[in-house]
Amino acid sequence: MSRGPAALVSRAIDWPFEALQRALGAARMPYVFVAPNLLVFGIFVAAPMILNVWYAVTGGTQLMPGDRPFVGAANFAELLDCTNHFVVATCKQDRFWRAVGNTAWFVVFQVVGLVLISLVTALILNRRMPWRGFFRAVFFYPVLLSPVVVALIWKWILQPDGVLNAVVVANGGTRIPFLLDPSWAFIWTIVVSIWAHMGFYTLILLAGLQAIPSDLYEAAEMDGTAHVRVFWRITMPLLMPNMMVVLVLALIRAVQSFDEIFVLTGGGPGTATQYIVQFIYETAFANQTHILGLAAAASMLVGGVLLVLTLLQLAASAQAKRSEAKR
Amino acid sequence: MANLSLRGIVREFGPLRVIHGIDLDVAQGEFVVFVGPSGCGKSTLLRMIAGLDRPDGGDVLIDGVRVNERRAAERGLAMVFQSYALYPHMTVRQNLAFGLENQRMAQAEIDRRIGDAARMLQIEHLLQRKPGQLSGGQRQRVAIGRTVTREPGIFLFDEPLSNLDAELRVQMRVELSALHKRLKATMIYVTHDQTEAMTMADRIVVLRGGRVEQAGSPLELYNRPANKFVAGFIGSPRMNFLDAVTREGRNVVVDDMPPLAVPAAAETSDGEPVTLGVRPEHLGFVETAGLPGTVDIVEQMGGESYVYVTLANGARLTVRRPGQTALSTGDAVRICIEGAAHLFSRAEGEPAIAPRVRA
Repeated sequence: MSRGPAALVSRAIDWPFEALQRALGAARMPYVFVAPNLLVFGIFVAAPMILNVWYAVTGGTQLMPGDRPFVGAANFAELLDCTNHFVVATCKQDRFWRAVGNTAWFVVFQVVGLVLISLVTALILNRRMPWRGFFRAVFFYPVLLSPVVVALIWKWILQPDGVLNAVVVANGGTRIPFLLDPSWAFIWTIVVSIWAHMGFYTLILLAGLQAIPSDLYEAAEMDGTAHVRVFWRITMPLLMPNMMVVLVLALIRAVQSFDEIFVLTGGGPGTATQYIVQFIYETAFANQTHILGLAAAASMLVGGVLLVLTLLQLAASAQAKRSEAKR
Repeated sequence: MANLSLRGIVREFGPLRVIHGIDLDVAQGEFVVFVGPSGCGKSTLLRMIAGLDRPDGGDVLIDGVRVNERRAAERGLAMVFQSYALYPHMTVRQNLAFGLENQRMAQAEIDRRIGDAARMLQIEHLLQRKPGQLSGGQRQRVAIGRTVTREPGIFLFDEPLSNLDAELRVQMRVELSALHKRLKATMIYVTHDQTEAMTMADRIVVLRGGRVEQAGSPLELYNRPANKFVAGFIGSPRMNFLDAVTREGRNVVVDDMPPLAVPAAAETSDGEPVTLGVRPEHLGFVETAGLPGTVDIVEQMGGESYVYVTLANGARLTVRRPGQTALSTGDAVRICIEGAAHLFSRAEGEPAIAPRVRA
């Protein structure tokens, strides 16, 4: 064996594993290496998921699973209980339905905006231009920020005496309650969420654009193809697999939106920006009575929706891989 | 059909000049091949003709009209790319129709042209398939078909056969020549493969370092190479080169070996250092005199034989003999010249004393 500090360290790490292997046999060693990760996954993902199912079919406000009375589908029934499903106010859990409605609108606007803006940004960043590397980094930078930091930055911009209002006032306008007016607050949750995440999707689309051989564009040029036609007939069809991945990923993450919006608006004003994950969080942990069963049932419903979207995403990336292979 | 003229074409990439003022005329209906090693500027030149790249100096003229500022599509050209550049998401038919639709051509005319091209290239049964479902040779045909439907004044080919296997390459070579005869079209073809150049060209343009080394018919280049580079590039196996000194007006001497009779040496002064160039097929074996050497390896092709010889001074030669040979590794041989020999000036390398051929 060689000398030196590295050798010393490696010997120090080696002996417990060697002892373990002597005790267990080489065939069982892989389990030893997988165990730490499995433990974390088990405690923080698998066990809560199973527990969640139990909470969803039990009632009361007790925390310990053994103390909770079995109620069957009563929690689901309560969530879905409306005299008129088209009027939120007639629902027993109107806050749930409001959150569902808010989330639905949020998802539609956020995803469409996100995909379009990411696409345009990727198209621009794919062109030959000065400082291209710098701009690529700039657009990706927000993705690296913690959601809380994102929210605090924007709060600082949007609050009544914030930066944006300073600009408005300086230009002779009156202050706008960006986060206190329901419509404005809704719009800003979408804008902030797009700003925070677009770098990631831009990156995926940029990768897709760069995978399109430049020969095809030259062939199109020789063919005398107008720019618009090149975009619709060549760029878009060849970018479609990446677009599908981006679309479905963006959908899933939009449904899950919570952290930066919770810090930015707290769901307000009123319930104007309360989305489904926040409803679940507050029902279970933040309200005075912790109605765990209802929250668990709601999260199972959301989980069902996400499952469908995830399957779509898997199918989309499988298709992307296939067409990549064909190219 | 169109003719093409290049006048003093210059192209620079930043501080690097890659094309140094090229002048060239391509006549209507001519099949011209640009050949040269990688980096010689042949593809850059083709791209400037196509309009995919702009020269930094000089003019491109098509049918006598300066087209420097014209976009690629307005030059009346069509190009086959090395990668074929077929649109992968379109069927073969859509690929063929795409450029014609851009011109807002009537559907009946598009159908007629696609039908004609598909019949000529035998791809009728592939029209509904996508490029991913085709073999390399089939894609090649479709790429050619796409240019044929455009009915261009000049066809441009950028190393179109380099992605095909050897057998298919030979077959496509023959078909391209046939296509040229049939369409009587002007064609400009870029390749690094001298065999493709020799077999297809009416005229070969040998490029190196962004300059034209020589332009002429295949046999002109083979028989009368303008310099050592062309001599070494054209012909396969490659021409043999030996450092030698002229002697007594008729001979050259390679190191201390017996003198070789090279009539071309008559035009040189005595004692001039030269590079002697002899093609493998112009070397033979003799009993006495000649250059002594040892056989390294013998390749028996059946119809002909390649004998690789190391001379007494360490230089290596390739000798190509018709038929089969009884020689084998280790045999002592003596080598003489049995055909054309070329003398190139050794100073400065290439620009020869003038290529000389023994009559």
